Amino acid sequence: MTNSTTNKVMTKVMNKLQLVLLLSSTILLMPSANAALYVTIVQGLGGLPEYDDKFTDQAQKIYQASLTLADASHVTSMAGDDAARRPLLIHFQNLAEAMNEDDRAAIYLVGHGSYDGEQYKFNIPGPDITAADLAEILESFPGQNHFLVNTSSTSGAILEALESDQRVIITATRNGNEKNATEFGNYFADALASDIADINKNNNVSIQEAFDFAERSVAEFFESSGRLATEHPQIRGEGAASFSLARVEPLETSDENPLINALLSRSIELNAEIESLQLRRNEFSNVEYIQSLQALILESAEISEQIDSLREGTQANVQ
Amino acid sequence: MFNRPKHTYSFHDLAAPVVACVVACVFASIAARAAKPTAIVLLAALLSIVPHSSFARDHLYGAIDNESLLQCETVNWAGQLLEAAACYSGLHNGEQTPQIRAEAFWAQGDLQSANTQFQDAINRFPEDPMVRVRWGELFIDSYQYSEAYTLFGEALEIDPENSWAHIGAASALSEGGDPEALNQHLNKVMEEGLAPHGAKLRAMMMVIRSLLRQDRYQEAEGSLEEAFEFAEDESLATMELKALRASYEFMTRGDYQSWIDASLKESPGYGDAWFIPGYHATIIRRYEEAGDFFKEAVTLQPDHWEAHIYLGQNYLRLNDINDAIRHVNISYDGNAFNPMTVNLLRLLDTFTEDFVSITYPDPPEGPLPALVVKLHKDERDVLKNYTRKLSEDSIDVYTERYRFEPKEPIIVEIYPNHEDFVVRSIGMPGVGILGVTFGYLFAMDSPTGHPDQRYHWGTTLWHEMAHVFTLKATGNLVPRWFSEGISVYEEWRTGPIPGRKIPTDVLQAMAEGKFLPIAVLDDGFMRPDYQGQVIVSYMQAGLIFDFIDLEYGFDKIVDMLYLFNEDITPVEAIEQVLGISDSEFDRHFKQFIDIEYGPLLSGLSVWMEDMSAGYEALQAEQWQEAAAAAERAVFTYPDYVENDSAYIVMARAYQKLDKKEEEFQALQTFWQKGGYLPAALLSLADYYLERKINTEAEAVLVDISYADPFIEDLHVKLGDLYMDTQRPAKALEEFEVLLALDPLDKASANYRIANAYKALDNDDKTMEYLMTALDIAPQFRPAQQLLLEMSRTSN
Repeated sequence: MTNSTTNKVMTKVMNKLQLVLLLSSTILLMPSANAALYVTIVQGLGGLPEYDDKFTDQAQKIYQASLTLADASHVTSMAGDDAARRPLLIHFQNLAEAMNEDDRAAIYLVGHGSYDGEQYKFNIPGPDITAADLAEILESFPGQNHFLVNTSSTSGAILEALESDQRVIITATRNGNEKNATEFGNYFADALASDIADINKNNNVSIQEAFDFAERSVAEFFESSGRLATEHPQIRGEGAASFSLARVEPLETSDENPLINALLSRSIELNAEIESLQLRRNEFSNVEYIQSLQALILESAEISEQIDSLREGTQANVQ
Repeated sequence: MFNRPKHTYSFHDLAAPVVACVVACVFASIAARAAKPTAIVLLAALLSIVPHSSFARDHLYGAIDNESLLQCETVNWAGQLLEAAACYSGLHNGEQTPQIRAEAFWAQGDLQSANTQFQDAINRFPEDPMVRVRWGELFIDSYQYSEAYTLFGEALEIDPENSWAHIGAASALSEGGDPEALNQHLNKVMEEGLAPHGAKLRAMMMVIRSLLRQDRYQEAEGSLEEAFEFAEDESLATMELKALRASYEFMTRGDYQSWIDASLKESPGYGDAWFIPGYHATIIRRYEEAGDFFKEAVTLQPDHWEAHIYLGQNYLRLNDINDAIRHVNISYDGNAFNPMTVNLLRLLDTFTEDFVSITYPDPPEGPLPALVVKLHKDERDVLKNYTRKLSEDSIDVYTERYRFEPKEPIIVEIYPNHEDFVVRSIGMPGVGILGVTFGYLFAMDSPTGHPDQRYHWGTTLWHEMAHVFTLKATGNLVPRWFSEGISVYEEWRTGPIPGRKIPTDVLQAMAEGKFLPIAVLDDGFMRPDYQGQVIVSYMQAGLIFDFIDLEYGFDKIVDMLYLFNEDITPVEAIEQVLGISDSEFDRHFKQFIDIEYGPLLSGLSVWMEDMSAGYEALQAEQWQEAAAAAERAVFTYPDYVENDSAYIVMARAYQKLDKKEEEFQALQTFWQKGGYLPAALLSLADYYLERKINTEAEAVLVDISYADPFIEDLHVKLGDLYMDTQRPAKALEEFEVLLALDPLDKASANYRIANAYKALDNDDKTMEYLMTALDIAPQFRPAQQLLLEMSRTSN
């Protein structure tokens, strides 16, 4: 494709989409440049070696996956005595102090839970962490849109205390009565490094994508083993689709070639414009929407093609 | 096990039909679920739940001797219903004991008041066993057999020799309870010289019913004659006996009408004179005639709710849904406590709301379509193509082989919910069947009803379709074993996974010489002597036709089949067509079995030891030992390809040992011999695809679709293979199934469909699916590239 062809396409698109592009020039939903993701992984007591191994494996997968998106200094994994109540509360207190309004926290609780009909407890060495503690921790963070996933048995018991539009909460079970050790954590951890879980193929696994993957995997697990499902994962809160937890493949955002850098920059803008268009699809007729989407994706595709060509060292068909 | 009635007996449960159903379901659940790898399927009605003897409140047969009540009874059974109603109403006053008042309310259909009066009676006469006996009979009329049985037991604690209590207990147990206990109760009555004559007659009639249900006509005839003589000597009512005689005559193609007339002459308003023969007509699968009987029953006695429900169910079998709904509703309005009514009502709701009909060809070539497929709407897009292909292929095969052209559309119903399917088939849940054929209509389980991957739905469909032909070619007169045998034989010969598949317990039975003489092979289906005999009988019947085919030729099978139109027995059919006696046939068949299975049977214990050793070694992760044991098992019995086959052990062990070629060979042999475990076949397909052996890969993948078409990966692989081999139309079908499975990765599914449409030069559809894919995943590179390509082409 020549530049002139590209320009013609772009002109055509611009004519159709003037309004869309003007609006989408503001990149919605993108965290501010200063926003950071703080990840805390709490590995509870296994009780048996097989569960210890399982939880360790899950915690490690989550840790590795988190490093693809978050700064290593912002990813904390706590296990054994480090995951006792006091060090945990201190850690979260420090975290609350370190975070600013734009930051987001992601907390993973990997382990067993218990529920006595009144109080949920996440099992750690010494005194356990309760649902009330978790609510207090989340409330202490500045800003909003934080995330907590609790993969333990009976974890559904925390929903009432924690659910809010301001945060995303995931539990492995529907309520406190689902007491069997869960499978959900395995699949959720797997999802973070799975291109299959990346449903929208944007190279990121969002909370929603990881949940969908894990929820379906749990259902298939019980169905294929002919067992009655003893856990029913739940998700609460808004914004799960736009909260990325991990990146599937490393992102190349810069290049020595300034032309590539410019194209990458435009590609990121286009992705944001597409996201903006999708969020506002109700404002358009179906035909208008598809045409607009098509134009944006066409440009994005052309840019990707040009980047590939430039990277292969072959001169693109630029006249 | 029976629950003891609550201390205060209550009809509270009657207000909740669901509970009534639960009680009945306990009884119904005695039939072991036979989820065998081979399609074990039953012809309709043979596992039917036995309806209690007749419409609400039977004749007393002398159980109560109250003069006032008996006057009303006489008028009632003489068909003078208005007079009877007035007479019974006259017994409601305080002059009568609560038990007589209860009988009067009961006779008028007011079960709640009858129950209250019985409660009162038991408080006032706690030591009178007959109060408990009659109350127990009331519980039977309200389908609470467990409660009823407890009451009869309490009566027997008071009076262990009470024949009415024994016969009541036997009646309660006949709804699915312990057959040994049932016989003990019956024998107590039959053998007790001083038993009341009426109780004895009831016991005799129970025996006759049982004999008729088991096709033991000669014994039934003798018992009927004995019962008539007894009833005449003791001046007992015989209208029920006459209805049973009519049933016998109908089942043996005699003059049944004169016995119905005689029954009605004795009791002109007696709907059971029609209903009882109707019920027995369903036993022998004569559904059209059964429907006529039931219609007469409800015409004569519009409040015969049981006849309404049986008529409704019968309409369902004949695919007359509207009339089925009408009569099920009438039954429910009249008696909401019959669990069969409640179950069918729910089923009809599901059926009318959730099922869709697809007709083929569309539009039909004649006035009617050849095939109607009824699928749950959630499964339609997954199953329709495969169901159509299997159905049309099997119709073609059977039309030619059995020289029979279907006269009506063949209707295939596939149920994702096993209990819906069972209720549709026999009215009650809890029975382990996979498919039921009524005539031109058959119903069966969907693969989603059996998530354990042992169920091969394609084989079940093939099996049931064979029943359509054997039943309709003989006007539903083909004997049970003959029809089942042909269906099993066709599974092995022409089905989607050809090859004999004999379960291990059947091999064991074979080794123990448990095959029956051909003259009594139906006994193995109708009155099994040991657990698993039904399965053994299926296999024996299948092997018999394999033997006839190999020894005498396939045409002889068809010749024998058509002889059943001429009212002859299987033994006569063998004599006429094969020219040998049944004993000679048995001898030849045994020789055949000895030749085919002798070496295996003599080494069966060794084979079983090797199989166990293989699995134990697998469990212990001793891969080399597992492979060696499995190799030995395969050497002894190379054709065993059930899902626990030694080939599977070998494949697993070789995979762990990283011996890819050996694993491939094990999987390939497993498949070639008719193995169908989907996970194993998917691995085999991968091997074929890796080696570019596309023809075999395709064949394996198609085979998987007849075992479990709900595997997403199957359709990805098969569709991609079709695309690679330039068959986009077939690829499109697979990708559409993939999308219908609601995959997690919808972007890829839509992209694949777009590609298939592009190959079919359908740009509009290509863009439609492509943009759907890109809407889900805007950065999906392959889809972006296709969009670029489309854009450049259009420019």
